Amino acid sequence: MKPDALRGHLDALLLATLDGRQLHGYAIIEALQQVSGGALDLPTGTVYPALRRLERAGHVVSDWSTVGGRKRRTYRLTQAGQKALHAERSAWREFTTVIDGVLGGGGKWAQT
Amino acid sequence: MGTDVIDRYVTDLGSRLQGSKKHVRDLLTETRDSLEDATEAHLDRGLSEDEARTRAVEEFGPVKEIANEYQAELAVAYGTRTLVWLAIVLPLMHMAWEYGRMLLVGPWQDLGTPTPSWYLVVAKANDMTSGAASGVALVALVLGRILARKYDTKLLAKLAASIAILAVGAVLLGNVAIIAATAHVDVARLMQSLPMSIASLITWIVIIRLGLLARRCLSCATIVA
Repeated sequence: MKPDALRGHLDALLLATLDGRQLHGYAIIEALQQVSGGALDLPTGTVYPALRRLERAGHVVSDWSTVGGRKRRTYRLTQAGQKALHAERSAWREFTTVIDGVLGGGGKWAQT
Repeated sequence: MGTDVIDRYVTDLGSRLQGSKKHVRDLLTETRDSLEDATEAHLDRGLSEDEARTRAVEEFGPVKEIANEYQAELAVAYGTRTLVWLAIVLPLMHMAWEYGRMLLVGPWQDLGTPTPSWYLVVAKANDMTSGAASGVALVALVLGRILARKYDTKLLAKLAASIAILAVGAVLLGNVAIIAATAHVDVARLMQSLPMSIASLITWIVIIRLGLLARRCLSCATIVA
């Protein structure tokens, strides 16, 4: 999938990845790639500024901890982040329903 | 050499960033961690050490593009910090100065030379400037948090820097105006009390410090492409 197409959805994807768990940056990237079967192909460096943006919005919080001898910044959702994720999911369902109604019609206008 | 690929990338990235030292250090630590994690993942997939490190750097993204995104976040963080300082320090500084004046000098009306009514207007305007600048900084902080995801980070960084510059500029102008007005009414008032002269000097040092913060804030925001 093209990075430009993903960029607009990056915040929602990150919120969904952090739903119910606390992960460090690269674990988030791996989880995203795993869930998408490798189709989500963003430059990994763009994930970190996006995480900071979510933190600035109060949707995630981060803590530094030492894991395996290395300092890691781990992220988790806040209550506001949970609400934002809920809103993103509703908006996405609405969007896909509408678009599917048009694109998934199988070219019925061409047949009439 | 493989090891140098990550070192070079992190050094190159760091040389392009401007902002609070702590924030830059945090971002670079996180970057290095991510590159090391990616290298380990590629090693597990059977790549050689050199290939794994090179692949990790390639996947992270072109340094110029990534630096630009990092810089926007650093600029917003610096802008936020500057606005917090403005929101807290300006009213405190003004209250301390006014309290000191009332204690050491007394009301303007009680001074030996008559105080014209226009002078009181200038003094009132100067009083209000600090409060207004602090209020604007506070509103900008709240709006910045609400709009964090709705607007482009680069735009928010430039807005924060502009507000900081304008707020400090207004306070600076208010202080210059009151000094000029005092000198015009009775230049002796400026030197009437040594503790107040020291308090005024401290006020100017604080304003200059805030001005430097605001200027650096603008510099952080404008190097973003």
